Amino acid sequence: MKHFIALTLVACSMSTAIAQQNEVSAKKNGHEMHNARPQLATGAAFAPDGRLWIVGLNESLQLFVQSSNGEKLDEWAPPQILNTTGDAISADGENRPKIAFGPNGWVVISYTQPLAKPYTGFIRMLRSVDGGRTFSTPFTVHQDQQEITHRFESIAFDNKGALHTLWVDKRDQPPRNSGKTYVGAAIYRNVSVDGGATFGPDLKVADHSCECCRIALAPDADGNLQAMWRHVFGEQTRDHAFANFMVNKANEITRSSFDEWQINACPHHGPGLAINNIGKHVGYHAVWFGVRKLKNQSITSAWYAQLNLNGSPTPESVIALPDERAEHADVMAQGKNVAIVWRSSEGMKTTLKTWLSRDGGKRFEIKNIAEAKGYNDHPRLVQSNQKMAVVWRLPEGTQVYEIKF
Amino acid sequence: MKLNFKKITVILISLCCLSGWTQSIHSHSVDSSANVKPLSVKAFDETSWSDLLKKTPRPMAYLFTTSYCSTCPEAFAILNNAVKSSGKKINIAAVMMDVTGAQAQRHAIHFEGVTQLYAFDGFEPAIRQSVDPKWPNVTPYIVLIDKNGSVQKIIGQPSPSMIKRWLI
Repeated sequence: MKHFIALTLVACSMSTAIAQQNEVSAKKNGHEMHNARPQLATGAAFAPDGRLWIVGLNESLQLFVQSSNGEKLDEWAPPQILNTTGDAISADGENRPKIAFGPNGWVVISYTQPLAKPYTGFIRMLRSVDGGRTFSTPFTVHQDQQEITHRFESIAFDNKGALHTLWVDKRDQPPRNSGKTYVGAAIYRNVSVDGGATFGPDLKVADHSCECCRIALAPDADGNLQAMWRHVFGEQTRDHAFANFMVNKANEITRSSFDEWQINACPHHGPGLAINNIGKHVGYHAVWFGVRKLKNQSITSAWYAQLNLNGSPTPESVIALPDERAEHADVMAQGKNVAIVWRSSEGMKTTLKTWLSRDGGKRFEIKNIAEAKGYNDHPRLVQSNQKMAVVWRLPEGTQVYEIKF
Repeated sequence: MKLNFKKITVILISLCCLSGWTQSIHSHSVDSSANVKPLSVKAFDETSWSDLLKKTPRPMAYLFTTSYCSTCPEAFAILNNAVKSSGKKINIAAVMMDVTGAQAQRHAIHFEGVTQLYAFDGFEPAIRQSVDPKWPNVTPYIVLIDKNGSVQKIIGQPSPSMIKRWLI
């Protein structure tokens, strides 16, 4: 009997090994691939008690959340692995898991689940009703269940505790060979007033968004949320749009950048948005990436501008960030203090940079705050009242730098 | 009784081997969604581009793309249709910048006619800058090399005049 069990186990091991060996040899033949890049894209937010939380994938591609110990931002409690029922999860570049805190102990985590067909996905969410001690298994946020693009979601609670989810959606694409065309994708949204237990209908924000860039959300002075995203104006002009989506009807948008970048391509480089409230609410601070012509020269850069209350840019405020390699900038503000962060890579070396203003964005001061060699995530700004910090994930761990003005 | 154990053992071993074999078959069938043998995925690191430029057949096109780039298949189709119209045998390589292995092969279904498939193997900005220091992370990025070795580069779709110069 012992021999029988041993033989069976050996045989099973051999058969599994044969299958694994086939897989390995297929990947290691000559110059073939063997290194997948680490999935470092991470979401971050402050909890109401002042602790910083991050959500991302670990080395085994499991979704985890982790919080700082008390208010010490660089000391972490052990990670909590979440049950995602086997979902594949996007955690690369601009497509990252996200976390948001609401009232009543509500915490939600969202991510895009890529489906088998390329460019398709579902927006998935886990919810907690006990401040993040436990989480539900994931569920799909949108009502549309077609195997199409539902990707690049953004989430936020408004001042009344309603949860808003926006995403890039391709349900309006005409069928192939129909002879009809539809430029880009669309922005859709929904609302949950019970912390993600139930959701209202899928609502269109705008037709003709760019297909693969993050969506920026920021509150106004009343806590209502505004959105900014890369948009296709006309046939191929990839600039940015702004919408007071909680009030406006579908396609009531304001153009918020005028780079006039004519291109049929994927920048994969969405904007950042923050309230501009210097004693009174005068508009927004915005950052984005684009190519614009200045004196007959095409300037490729990350840009900063102040937007008015409707989302239109103040022309004289538009300036290039002082770094031609600036990528994936983020912006946050508190009164007259404005912080912009980005990463700047030259070969294997990446520098994390800040550009700080103490006068509402009139003058800025640049500072290098950290360096890394090799893989690193895009930097994220997080804010809790007066406190601002940059979260930057590297393979060896997540760095947090508090911003001092 | 001993005979029964032997029989059972043989059956179980056979089942296990069959299971391994079917796993193997399955892993291949996943990679060959269009009943075409999938291209092998070659590594593309910071040293690859300078080597390729020296050794590449001419004419040749390289399309740098990503798994999220939904504007890339249209750009590839322009290249592929131009090659078909020319009646020449010209290589077009796709270089995946964000995914590797089977994921890269799955995305190759958008590039029917592609002759070589590469995937970035390392830190993306460093590899991208080794191809073109001024190239921001925007795709498609296309490099056209004509029969004399002249190089044209563009982000987005190549114009008819670029295609004409490429296929001289």
